[in-house]
Amino acid sequence: MNTNAIEIRGLVKNYPTFKLGPLDLTVPRGAIYGLIGPNGAGKTTAIDLIFGMGKNDAGTIRVLGLDHRADEVELKRRAAYVSPDLNFAVWGKVGKAIRFVRGFYPNWDDAYCAQLMKAFHLSDANKIATLSFGAKTKLSLLLALSRRPEILILDEPTTGLDAVSKQEVFGELLKAVETGERTVLISSHGLSDIERFADHIGMIKNGKLLLEGRTDEIVDRFRLAEFFSDNGTQFQNRDGLIILKQNENRWHALLDQKSGAQDWLQSKGAKEISLTRVTLEDLFVALAKDEETK
Amino acid sequence: MPPERKTFLIGPISSAADGALYQQIVDQIKREISENRLKPGATLPSFRALAEDLLVSVITVKRAYEELEREGIIFRRQGLGTFVAEHGHDRNREARLNSAQELFRTAAREAAEAGLKPSEILELAQKIIKGKS
Repeated sequence: MNTNAIEIRGLVKNYPTFKLGPLDLTVPRGAIYGLIGPNGAGKTTAIDLIFGMGKNDAGTIRVLGLDHRADEVELKRRAAYVSPDLNFAVWGKVGKAIRFVRGFYPNWDDAYCAQLMKAFHLSDANKIATLSFGAKTKLSLLLALSRRPEILILDEPTTGLDAVSKQEVFGELLKAVETGERTVLISSHGLSDIERFADHIGMIKNGKLLLEGRTDEIVDRFRLAEFFSDNGTQFQNRDGLIILKQNENRWHALLDQKSGAQDWLQSKGAKEISLTRVTLEDLFVALAKDEETK
Repeated sequence: MPPERKTFLIGPISSAADGALYQQIVDQIKREISENRLKPGATLPSFRALAEDLLVSVITVKRAYEELEREGIIFRRQGLGTFVAEHGHDRNREARLNSAQELFRTAAREAAEAGLKPSEILELAQKIIKGKS
């Protein structure tokens, strides 16, 4: 059995002012995968292409081993999509929206739906139009989860959610992957949430993948380095080293511990090298800055 | 719908606390064992279930379990689950002794570097143990 839920290879989509790709993404089955990147990085474009919204110019997308276009119907049955743009207000009340949506999906789980209603503090009688932004997000998540999809794709689900709601949402997502058979792909720019909840991450910027892998391994691999140089060496970015700041002989840089950059620094006369752990946010800011200067 | 599971409680895990989240889980489980709230043979929750309880990624818990397994404090049986090892308590004690020794060594070195004589270092250690400093 293929152990990857989503495999994107060489994906390209050209727009007049933006180019996505060539992009490779690998989402392992059973994982919560965080797709992170600044606004306009191409997250939504990539997600839309998975669901056949727009046609890619090159590359392949396989979801659960299915081709995203040739097997579109089966894919849409087994995968669910949640976006802040989804609007269910036309159904009037929550109960009516649920009764409408459930008819389309043979796997719909009423008991689970009821449990989610409770967890998300929703009720059949709520008028959708008057729900808060966060409650609307929870409703679309409820409608997606109750279908028991094998893959759940969430575009910026935590935008506009308060801290308590965020925990409720992530709690349900962790429950959803508890059996190891469901996969969640979540795009976000809330990096601290992703660092805590996502097993895997992919960082994209300007339509390109900067980094992909297990969250803990990525965070462990990099360090913020401070060092001093008394011999006047002007350090520049190189493989595994991104210079962040310099004041006279004192330097700050992002260092990839796997790259041998630390030995290189020492060989160039860097002294008193001290290393500090990074957060995903530190890492992302440094990598994004480096990408801009290229 | 899966049956309601009992929540498994260990000490709190927080991004604001020192150390990576997985390390905090390792330390908290060790504490449970050394304070005998988790006894040899006791079953630990699956890592997915614990991830859900602690609201952290599955990978974080998996890594913590791997670490504890490597130290011989817990063991896994395919298809059955994860358990506290028979000698988990002793192993844990041994690991703690080693770590304490290492910390004492560092402290002694720093104190010596600060110009303290051996007798003064001992005096300082005694003060700390008695909680006077």
